[in-house]
Amino acid sequence: MVRMGELAASAVADDVLVSIGLGSCIGLALVDRRAAVAGLAHVVLPDSGGKSGPESFKFADHAVPELIERVVAAGGRRSTLDAVLVGGASMFAVSTAALEVGQRNEAAVRDQLGAARINVLAAATGGDRGRTIRVHVGSRRVTVREAGGSVQELVPEVVA
Amino acid sequence: MTPYTDLQLDALRELANIGSGTASTSLSGMLGRSVDISVPSVNVLPMADAVGAIGDAEADATGVVLGVIGDLAASVLLLFTPSDAAQMCSFLGVEADSEIGESALMEIGNIMGASYLNALGSMTGMALEPTPPAVATDMLAAIVETVLAERAGAGDIALLLDSNLIVEGSDASVSFLLVPDQGGVEQLLARLGL
Repeated sequence: MVRMGELAASAVADDVLVSIGLGSCIGLALVDRRAAVAGLAHVVLPDSGGKSGPESFKFADHAVPELIERVVAAGGRRSTLDAVLVGGASMFAVSTAALEVGQRNEAAVRDQLGAARINVLAAATGGDRGRTIRVHVGSRRVTVREAGGSVQELVPEVVA
Repeated sequence: MTPYTDLQLDALRELANIGSGTASTSLSGMLGRSVDISVPSVNVLPMADAVGAIGDAEADATGVVLGVIGDLAASVLLLFTPSDAAQMCSFLGVEADSEIGESALMEIGNIMGASYLNALGSMTGMALEPTPPAVATDMLAAIVETVLAERAGAGDIALLLDSNLIVEGSDASVSFLLVPDQGGVEQLLARLGL
């Protein structure tokens, strides 16, 4: 379970990394094309504005580089990583925040991935529904479920 | 874990108690039924734990959210289960799961939020006003985290003042949460001289 502002990487084939009910937050999954390694970050806000600290992984600018490091430390290779993005919705018709946090989160995560030259393989973002992401480490299968919907496959099983 | 003393937490609980007391009176006036309130809980916890403390993350819920303008950085969130939402709508003679049902729930949020903030304002000497409500029916976690995300820039600790209001003679209830950001909590306490 990867909760708000948390991130995790794993090379244990049976592990399933999950973020339940992503609203304006982004679930960023990194999967390795060659090895059974994957990671997931639950990004809350786009930009730390220079703030740091042990719990700063809620910010896209800290979370994305840290997730890449952790996936590499777990045995992944930077050059064979693909990204999957889920979330970034506008939950409330009239947002109380002047700017749409969901859209800014997605843009910030994509910027960071671009800077790290990691390709976005699939995405289920925007709209007004909450979503749950599941990342199956062994098969690198990634699924998404929207509120009130059924489970959709975003990335199929990797056949070695 | 908590950066606040027991005395401070008691004071916050008392604020929530008086706020939800007036909110229950206005809900009661709107529904024409008596409304009971439970003793509010004050939860100070890491942001990551907040969703789990409120309920089942993937369960369906309807949330009505209001911003606060004035002297306090905070959000107000009302949470209804699908059955609560349906019962509240039927008390008001409107169809749930419809546009008019959603406006009825927003109006409940509006009236309860305004009276809660009004009471809070007069106790603390703060000028507080709610912004117009917005509504979403979705997974509980998605609603709660979106509200928390707006407050998350200020700190990693979430403070939830949670009151439960139950309509007498039914099992319809609504969970009323005041979610100040970390700076907002300091402001509230400073006004109380704590």
